[in-house]
Amino acid sequence: MATEQELHQGLYDAVVDMDEEQSAELASEVVKAGYDAYAAIEQGLSKGMDKVGELYEQEEYFIPELLLCSDAMYAGIDILKPHIVREETRVQHKVVIGVVEGDTHDIGKNLVKIMLESAGFEVIDLGRDIKAQAFIDAAEENGAEIIALSTLMTTAMPSMQEVVELLEKQDKRDKYKVLIGGGPISPNFAKKIRADAYASTAAEAARIAKDFAAAEEAALQSA
Amino acid sequence: MNDISPKERLFRVLEKKTVDRPPVICPGGMMNSATVDVMKECGASFPTVHHSAEAMERLSSSVQTRTGFENFGIPYCMTVEAEVLGSEIDFGNEECEPKIAKERYEFSRDVPIHDVKKLVKEGRIEAIAKAGYEIGRKNPDIPVIGSLTGPVSTAASIVDPMTFLKELRRDKENANRVLDYVADFLIEYAKVLVESGFPVITIADPTATGEILGPKMFGDYAVPYLNKLVDGIHALDTPVIVHICGRLESVEKHLAGIHADAISTDAMVNLKNIKAACGVGTVMGNLSTFALQLQTPDVIQRATEKLLSDKIDIISPACGLSTTTPADNIRVMTETVKQSG
Repeated sequence: MATEQELHQGLYDAVVDMDEEQSAELASEVVKAGYDAYAAIEQGLSKGMDKVGELYEQEEYFIPELLLCSDAMYAGIDILKPHIVREETRVQHKVVIGVVEGDTHDIGKNLVKIMLESAGFEVIDLGRDIKAQAFIDAAEENGAEIIALSTLMTTAMPSMQEVVELLEKQDKRDKYKVLIGGGPISPNFAKKIRADAYASTAAEAARIAKDFAAAEEAALQSA
Repeated sequence: MNDISPKERLFRVLEKKTVDRPPVICPGGMMNSATVDVMKECGASFPTVHHSAEAMERLSSSVQTRTGFENFGIPYCMTVEAEVLGSEIDFGNEECEPKIAKERYEFSRDVPIHDVKKLVKEGRIEAIAKAGYEIGRKNPDIPVIGSLTGPVSTAASIVDPMTFLKELRRDKENANRVLDYVADFLIEYAKVLVESGFPVITIADPTATGEILGPKMFGDYAVPYLNKLVDGIHALDTPVIVHICGRLESVEKHLAGIHADAISTDAMVNLKNIKAACGVGTVMGNLSTFALQLQTPDVIQRATEKLLSDKIDIISPACGLSTTTPADNIRVMTETVKQSG
């Protein structure tokens, strides 16, 4: 019988090696042995996905590999999730994500979603070609803290601005951090439309979201 | 070479012969050159124009006259192929070009092989061919460029793109089968265009980039299927320009192996270095489309002059123009090139 640590390492390797079956198998072993499911996700699958993010940034892995690694991660998560022991103190931060109205290119959005989920966020994925108000409605309904907007098309960039402007008009701007990215997007554009941040890669988006979440937790604690 | 026509100049460059100055063109397709300004002026607007030969003829002719580009470019989007192959198209609006609403197939293995000779009689292909024929007939000195969506991008427009990218590793057999089929279809489509009088074909394959695929898969999939298509078009005695999106560092070693007559690139690529370092004979590009959309005429003029002094063989925008690009800005670019001769 494998030790808990060995299983964590195995899950890590399964994700990095794009091995969906192995990930599912080891996740079942974790459950059978009665080890902590949450720890297996965090110490095994998530850490593996962090490594994948690194390999992607170092241009060892590219998008097909990243997608296959994330499939392996989800195969494990699907089995472990029902066995997570809920702790009241564990806050899961929520992100609403989508491709803005006027665009249907969603590869980039999907990558960000993967990296956010592997970083522990609950992601509400609205899909592609999404109206500005729908982002706000979803954020309100789900109690999200971050709204993440993506587009590949210059013609859809004004839709990002619309989300920020609607938040301002509806007096909700301070409730949410708006994070934007995509092929034609730049830090300057983010500044111009008064978004909170621009991310150039999926891994960077996850890092920025973590910083937002940490800042919010700090603010809550000091309040 | 005082009386050299735009068509002859482009042909000479693609044949690596000397010219008085570079041609300045915008091929259409992914590298759309139609802007809202011009659509309003000529009364042929997105999205209705995409379906009508007469409207396409009017719009492309007006774009050419108004911008000064030394070519006509049709169509204005990358969805013609996917529509024929069964995907659902969202035709967009006045400002936004058509895009894929839903890919037809979930997996590569679901794609049936149809007779490509019958397929090219469907969708908008006939209208595009007719528009090109009419423009070419009326303007024998200016080339009509037909723009195709490359094999990987077309495949990822009929099979769910996330799945297709994974299948490049997980189901190579079916991924190759779909790519082969798509390339056969594209060759047949190119044949229709060439027979209708399009003297030059451009291929843009934005899913087949180094950034998305990485160097190994770019070599395994992008290069061979681009070459299959390019070779098929060369067999029709027609030159081909291939546009590659995104950064090129990771795939530089593959560039010389692409059989195109010219390679066009995105704005962040240093074309001068690519030409010197990668054994790419003829390069095209790569004026920032953001500059064209947002900058002042003096900035656009300086950027164009930089490309001229770098001895870029064909001057063009680096990507598709935003439809809200002012026609006067484009005019600054084309005039700067023309005055250099």
